[in-house]
Amino acid sequence: MGHTEPAWSRRDFLKTTGIAAAGLAAGPIIAACGGSPAANPTPATAGAIPKPRPGAQIRLLQWVSFVPAADDEIRRQAKEFSDANNVQVTIETVTGDQLQPKTAAAVEAGSGPDIIQMQYGWPHLYDTACMDVTDLVDMLKGKLGSVNQVNDAFSKVNGRYLAVPYCQVPNAWTYRTDLWQQAGLTNFFSTWDELASNGKQLKSKNLPPIAVSLGHAYGDAITMWYPVLWDFGGREVSSDGKHVTINSKETLDAVNWAVDLWKSGAISQNTLSWLDPDNNQAYHSGLITGTLNGASIYIKEVYTTATNHKFAPVTSNAAMPKGRQGASTLNLIFNHAVMKWSNEAETAKAFLLYLMDQTNYTKWLNASVGYNAGPFHALTNADVFQQDAKLKPFLDVVGAGKWPGWPAQPSKATAQSQVQFVIVDMFAKAVTSGDARSAISDAEQKLKRIYELPS
Amino acid sequence: MASTTTPRASLGRLAGPRVRIFEHEARLGYLLLIPALLLLLVFVAYPFLFGIWLSITNSQIGVNGHFVGLANFQFEQGDSVFIQSFVNTVSYTGITTVLKLALGMVMALLLNQVFPAQRFVRAALLLPWIIPSVLSTLAWRWMFDPTFSVVNWVIIHSHLSATGVDWLGKTGTALTSLMIVNVWRGTPFYGIALLAGLQTIPVDLYEAARVDGASRWQQFRRITVPMLRPVLLVVLLLSTILTFGDFTLPYVLTNGAPFNSTHVLSTWAFAIGVGGGYISIGAAISLVLFPLLSAIVFGVMVVLRRQE
Repeated sequence: MGHTEPAWSRRDFLKTTGIAAAGLAAGPIIAACGGSPAANPTPATAGAIPKPRPGAQIRLLQWVSFVPAADDEIRRQAKEFSDANNVQVTIETVTGDQLQPKTAAAVEAGSGPDIIQMQYGWPHLYDTACMDVTDLVDMLKGKLGSVNQVNDAFSKVNGRYLAVPYCQVPNAWTYRTDLWQQAGLTNFFSTWDELASNGKQLKSKNLPPIAVSLGHAYGDAITMWYPVLWDFGGREVSSDGKHVTINSKETLDAVNWAVDLWKSGAISQNTLSWLDPDNNQAYHSGLITGTLNGASIYIKEVYTTATNHKFAPVTSNAAMPKGRQGASTLNLIFNHAVMKWSNEAETAKAFLLYLMDQTNYTKWLNASVGYNAGPFHALTNADVFQQDAKLKPFLDVVGAGKWPGWPAQPSKATAQSQVQFVIVDMFAKAVTSGDARSAISDAEQKLKRIYELPS
Repeated sequence: MASTTTPRASLGRLAGPRVRIFEHEARLGYLLLIPALLLLLVFVAYPFLFGIWLSITNSQIGVNGHFVGLANFQFEQGDSVFIQSFVNTVSYTGITTVLKLALGMVMALLLNQVFPAQRFVRAALLLPWIIPSVLSTLAWRWMFDPTFSVVNWVIIHSHLSATGVDWLGKTGTALTSLMIVNVWRGTPFYGIALLAGLQTIPVDLYEAARVDGASRWQQFRRITVPMLRPVLLVVLLLSTILTFGDFTLPYVLTNGAPFNSTHVLSTWAFAIGVGGGYISIGAAISLVLFPLLSAIVFGVMVVLRRQE
């Protein structure tokens, strides 16, 4: 009996699969080398309106909004844009505290979403990865007017816009009017000193306290304690960003005020580990009288059909109080950056223009029910703020907005200070130890190290 | 007609010099190791070496830096949070390792007995180890929540305290909370590993010891512990390395709060490197433990070798 050759030897198998694998890999490799004309269209000339490329696919990475309807609306607009232009726009959402790690990973890898929602001063942190969109912003300024000073400071790096101003999440006070009345209080506090006396009044009547985060809540904690510092005249650094100036009489006044507030029980002492959702949960559970937050607490009580509207009739809002040396607010700031690695930059820019169109943007603002405020002059006054007077305080706080590190311009150092919660921890340490000077000295050392980081 | 072809000849092309490697056991062994080695090189060696490179440069996220020698390590020496993180890491590892060892040994000794539903109990006790770390830590965070803590509810309703404990709001209790969760999660690993070791100890040794009048404690000290030594050393080594580098638990439970006092080296490295963008300093912080861990691993390997 003779031996027959196998129909397909191991050598043949390896040859064939190897060639097939190389063939599959060739396309992306060639495209990555810039060999595919479809993947790298010629950029439009400066000043020209960006046009989406049919067949393009882009991704936008953003946070999960505390108001789900806002995310639903942006997804709807993404679909509308996709259908109208034969492109595919995908909105990816992650929780707020995961957005920065994902952004950092994408920047370090040099690949990822085409558009990333930059919070606070991230354009300054990731300036090498963000595309210059000055032409786009100038176009929008021509249609929509001037940019809010905080969006402007965060999105402009060395005179060039590295992100398109997108929105603010204004922070104001939400409180229970029924408990306020039970305490014998008529008006909500309009100064920081009045907060102290109002809080003591609540305590004396055994009513739930006012509560603000002293933990590492990247929204609620910094929106409280930075304005306290500023309104007493304290400053982290000098205007030129070169000298640490935290150790001053004004800062001491601010910290001593906080220590007195804490000791007297005018604010809750349970908030040293509070993250951003904690005050929302405490309010909806009836455990606190008032807190500083975005409009999400009010929106959930009044507008969201899923809740039982327990405190809807007795929930109201108030603007930030004034201090002895001014009135400041710090709001969450979002801007959209088109990333340099994007192969569909024109489509990405076109989509951002679509989002910032006044009609579309107003629809999104109204879906947000007052949670967001616009960054351009023409986008600041959504219908919802006119229709619901109780939401007006969230509009009132926008004008006095500042940024971490103010009056210095945002930079990597101010971003580092914010990420390390230097100011928040200064207040937290002071109230728990009772030693304001030591806490300020510790903050000063930390800031000096941050501003001395090797470069 | 009978075939005159030899078996070797019938193999045809397969009988050529190229395939002799399959007949040489040592070479075949090395060949089979190549895929695993490649994976280790790509996913372990490369990131490790890249981390060392980052730690001696001034790189930032998205910005390639240049060589700065040991400047990052020297810079961190003056950082109070870094020093606190180092102390936290060592005490967190030391205390939890001792507790896990003690509780794991008790668990193993008990599970080594025969009782009803033994298999079910053994499987159930593994659950803390099996559940994804993030999920279990989130559950513990809720249990320690400053407003809704179920632990405080029990404490208050048991009249042990009027106000409960601020588990995550004070440095001492926050660090204790970290250790509680780590011990809860890690004890089953010790228990199951030591149980496996217990089951290899010949029963005759205990019988002989009983005949000689040895007490339970003497049997434990003179038979159980020496026989368990190799397993014990390996378990201690793995647990120490994993606990020194623990990130998920401290990050989810406290993330350094209150006021950066509960950071361990991994979470502080993350905060500086990823949050703050100074990835080179983050790399330097995370490499600080490498010499210490290397010494521990070397010591354990020497002791194990001597055992053999």
